[in-house]
Amino acid sequence: MKKFITIILLTVVAVTMVIATSIPTTMAPADPAIVLSPNIPGDATFGPLPPNATNEQKLLAIQGDFDIYSWNTFIALNWPPGPDGNGDPNKKIGQNGDNDTVWEHYRDVANIFLPGGATPTYNGPVSVPTQCKASFKPGMRIVSQVGKTPTVLSDFSQPFNTGPIIDQNGNYTRFEILVNKPMFDYILANKLYSKAGQQAFTGEVAFPCGGPTGPEGAIMVKSAWKVISPADRGRFHTQTVLVYSPASQNPKYAASCSPKLMGLVGLHIGHKTDSASQWLWSTFEHVDNVPTEADVASGKLKAKYNYYNPKCSAANCPPNKVPPRPWVPTKVSAFHSQVVRMNMFKGNEFAFTSAAARNADALKLLLGVNSKSVWQNYELISTMWPTNTGKCQATPGDPLGTPAPNFLANTTLETYIQGMVPNVSSNCIECHNNATMTNAKPSDFTYILQRAQ
Amino acid sequence: MTTNPPNPSTPSEATVQAFADMSAALTGFQSSFIRPFLDPVNLSGTFYQFAVSQVGQPRMDALMSAFDALSNQTPKPTPQQIADTLLETSLDAPSLQAQLCQSIVAMWYLGSWYTPGLLGGGGFAPPAVQVISSQAYTKSLVWNLAQSHPMGFSAFTFGYWSEQPASLETFGVDTGNGGGQ
Repeated sequence: MKKFITIILLTVVAVTMVIATSIPTTMAPADPAIVLSPNIPGDATFGPLPPNATNEQKLLAIQGDFDIYSWNTFIALNWPPGPDGNGDPNKKIGQNGDNDTVWEHYRDVANIFLPGGATPTYNGPVSVPTQCKASFKPGMRIVSQVGKTPTVLSDFSQPFNTGPIIDQNGNYTRFEILVNKPMFDYILANKLYSKAGQQAFTGEVAFPCGGPTGPEGAIMVKSAWKVISPADRGRFHTQTVLVYSPASQNPKYAASCSPKLMGLVGLHIGHKTDSASQWLWSTFEHVDNVPTEADVASGKLKAKYNYYNPKCSAANCPPNKVPPRPWVPTKVSAFHSQVVRMNMFKGNEFAFTSAAARNADALKLLLGVNSKSVWQNYELISTMWPTNTGKCQATPGDPLGTPAPNFLANTTLETYIQGMVPNVSSNCIECHNNATMTNAKPSDFTYILQRAQ
Repeated sequence: MTTNPPNPSTPSEATVQAFADMSAALTGFQSSFIRPFLDPVNLSGTFYQFAVSQVGQPRMDALMSAFDALSNQTPKPTPQQIADTLLETSLDAPSLQAQLCQSIVAMWYLGSWYTPGLLGGGGFAPPAVQVISSQAYTKSLVWNLAQSHPMGFSAFTFGYWSEQPASLETFGVDTGNGGGQ
């Protein structure tokens, strides 16, 4: 990234000089900005650095550019789609309060890695579990995961103590992972959807990179949802989905499936781009999810959170504890997760500063469309990006690219691995660098290829 | 989301850069590796502040002044010559200032602080006073020199051990002229 960013910045300086000598104005290269657009950015774009910038100022400026990219991606992915699935330029995000979104028409990984390694399709019919068939209607989504990792209910050796997160009403939070067409096409073309295909694949897995002026690269979207009441509909992006819980032997419960009104509480977007062969990781949350450590310490708490009870003391409700077993997602739990956002940006305060500024900018734009837009209730936590990488390829000797900020977590997706300990606390790039296919070969920062059958 | 205030005791950019340049000469690594153009880890700042907390500002200022004077000599000495002078490699009994340089070298290579004066001699070094931080542990230079990684942390992908490691240059080692460039 260092070399790549340097090239970009030198280009910006050169362009500035050309403009300055040919036009007698104070015109400067346009700084990137958050815009209301259905176009998904292929990569971040960069403004000029302040003269004689310190390390902190440089990081703040470039973090700002990446955070702008993140918001533009969020806006475009949550734009109302047209018939082709892309954002409809004749509509606007939130113009009717809530809307169907582009990313929800991406392909759910449950319909990519099929039994027997069968060939998947991008727009074909979805597989419907037996228990869901009575309630299923075409176009309906089926959400089943209760942990970021799909087998959390059956695998008892999960890394990082990963477990479910249960809201203040005792309902298990649900997750899904979807991929865009470029990512799906790469999997399909290289037959990486099956174990046999992965075994036969030679070479390195290399998903396509997006470019600043070109089409998007491979995108993964991880979403987190909670059950909400109709009265809360105006505060969340909602969908009525079929919530499916496969049968389990330990603990023992039968499979179930029922339609539920769900509200979006977390959105994690991974995008492989020219400026980030380690992918860009943009993470958003609902503003009512949790308080920060500082909020708790100061007592400046909201009356209500999705995953925190402000009336329960730390002694009675210790924060960030994995729910006690047994985990039974088919029942309402007596345990309610008490989640606090830990300060993971010590020494990387630029990440706080940048996100706060970009959130304020985005809020103005979203409210300008509609004062009742549900999208005003989402905030960017931060964007993780590599500071040292080449164009669409890692720098030898630094495969992680020295990410900024050093750590980043979404409290709905990485609830129990918040912190600042390398290789233990949540670092999107560091963790995903360990991802492999079913044959233990590196899978280019995605774990989904492990689901091949 | 609540914004955290910046740390008011952060040393100036010029001070940290000068410390990084001196550290490059002392360790044999490239200055641009010790303190990259974009440095979210900022070990140079962390190490500078930690050393000051251990030996006091006047002693660190004196060392930095000595480095500055050496760097501005004409003709300009090589990084190796600067390191030899500061570490007093030709003397049997290094001064207090050279002992501080030894501790700074150890800090960069091992991510730990050894009290000046306790290093050197013919035997093993005594136990470190402390590991400075988790980042200091994972990013200490000994792992780069070994083209490897510390126990419990690896940036390499699964199966890397079956492949030839990247060159020393890609790990930031200045193999051309002894560092400090």
